[in-house]
Amino acid sequence: MKTIIQVDHFRAAFGKKVILKDVSFTLTDDQLVVILGENGAGKTTLVTAILNAALSQEKTGAIQVQAENVAYVPQFRDLGADYPLSIRSFIALGVRNYGLPWLSKSEKQHVADAIQRFDLEAIADQPIAMASGGQKQRAYIAQAVAKQPDLLILDEPSSALDSEHTLALVKQIRQVQQEQKMLVLWISHDTSWVKGKADRYLWLHNQEVDLGLAKELPVAADSTHREEVNHVF
Amino acid sequence: MFSEPYMVHAFVAGTVIAIVSALVGTFVVARSYNFLTHSLSEIAFAGAAMGFWLGFAPLMGMIALTALSALAIGSLENAKVKSDNVTSAISALAIGLGILFLALGHSSSSSATGILFGSVLGISLSDIYLLLGMAALVMALILFFYRPLSLLAFDEEGLLMSRNKKGLLRIFFLLIMALSVAISSQLVGSLLVFVLVTLPAASARTFQKSVVGLIGMSMFFALFGTWMGLSLAYLTNLPTSVFIALIEVGIYLMSLLMQKMN
Repeated sequence: MKTIIQVDHFRAAFGKKVILKDVSFTLTDDQLVVILGENGAGKTTLVTAILNAALSQEKTGAIQVQAENVAYVPQFRDLGADYPLSIRSFIALGVRNYGLPWLSKSEKQHVADAIQRFDLEAIADQPIAMASGGQKQRAYIAQAVAKQPDLLILDEPSSALDSEHTLALVKQIRQVQQEQKMLVLWISHDTSWVKGKADRYLWLHNQEVDLGLAKELPVAADSTHREEVNHVF
Repeated sequence: MFSEPYMVHAFVAGTVIAIVSALVGTFVVARSYNFLTHSLSEIAFAGAAMGFWLGFAPLMGMIALTALSALAIGSLENAKVKSDNVTSAISALAIGLGILFLALGHSSSSSATGILFGSVLGISLSDIYLLLGMAALVMALILFFYRPLSLLAFDEEGLLMSRNKKGLLRIFFLLIMALSVAISSQLVGSLLVFVLVTLPAASARTFQKSVVGLIGMSMFFALFGTWMGLSLAYLTNLPTSVFIALIEVGIYLMSLLMQKMN
């Protein structure tokens, strides 16, 4: 088991407003970790800090990331109606951001695998601009997965999906995470699937972080429970 | 036509310029830098006029001023200053300075016409060598940095790089763009740079859906327009840039029509 993320007394604040006051945790590879929390709890702040630490490869900060290859799928992304590339070209574009222009045989295979894995074969050569919202979302994730990352960060990838499609996406991500031995950080508001499908939860609340086994998700962190409570009142 | 040495020079120069402009243009259009291309071409005019005034090759003046402006614009972009207004101000200043430099250098009106509308039919062998060197440099830089530049142009959100590296890459791209504008100005003049830098690349989007396909199709359109333009200019004794502009605009309109039909 390899440590991918080590957070040691991390603090985040906007001006005088403290978002996270003294956060420490360690995450290893080969896990699907769901990051939970109310709006403004600091999910994006934490993930952005992790991403910056990974990209700058700082050795002295409060966050250390040991990942050679990082992929990130932001929550909002729209390539616009006149975006020219096909889904296949878009996925191939993201495989590598250095080195020679052409892809190796194995990189081409990773692109083809990602297209197949996320059910994009039938529309792979169509412009991504013409794809539906759900197809675009799958293409964004396929692009990230084709990079063969050690660390994959997904920012609310299922926010526009119904429960059936969310479960299908969870299954696809779970499978790729296990096959490629990566750490997946999945920011989510919807916790309905967490207990049965994720390994761990990272719950941000009261400026602190709780890390635990997904099957032991506290009732207070469970959105399905919160929805029931809201419904009663 | 090819028995005339000046036409051979023009075809060699035109071919090199068309290839470089279309290559860089693919990234320029993807990044929606069309307006910036126009501004850089006005800056190139000031640079060429400065060359006339100070007595060095106009192309060197173009490269110097466009590169300097690219650095300034890139720094503003990295500092998240809304650069459109600043770019407009820099363009206005550049045209003013260009007129001043022409007056100070007591340059003839034909010099000004050459800068504004291109003078490829009068291009010298030494200018061609300079162009070839510049074109080789631009192509080598794009080949070496193809993958990060493609991501910057086509999917900046997917380009995971530290903030500093991304900032440097943006400035690097603008410098390449500045070089290609200076090169392209030799053929169609600074007023019509976007004819070769942006129109072929914009037209190619109707027909191709991959980055390599876009570059290839864009080069085809640029070369077609350039070769046809040079040939028609030879036959009619009219300026080359007129024909290149008409052909490239025609191709663009046709691509729009085909896009609508699909």
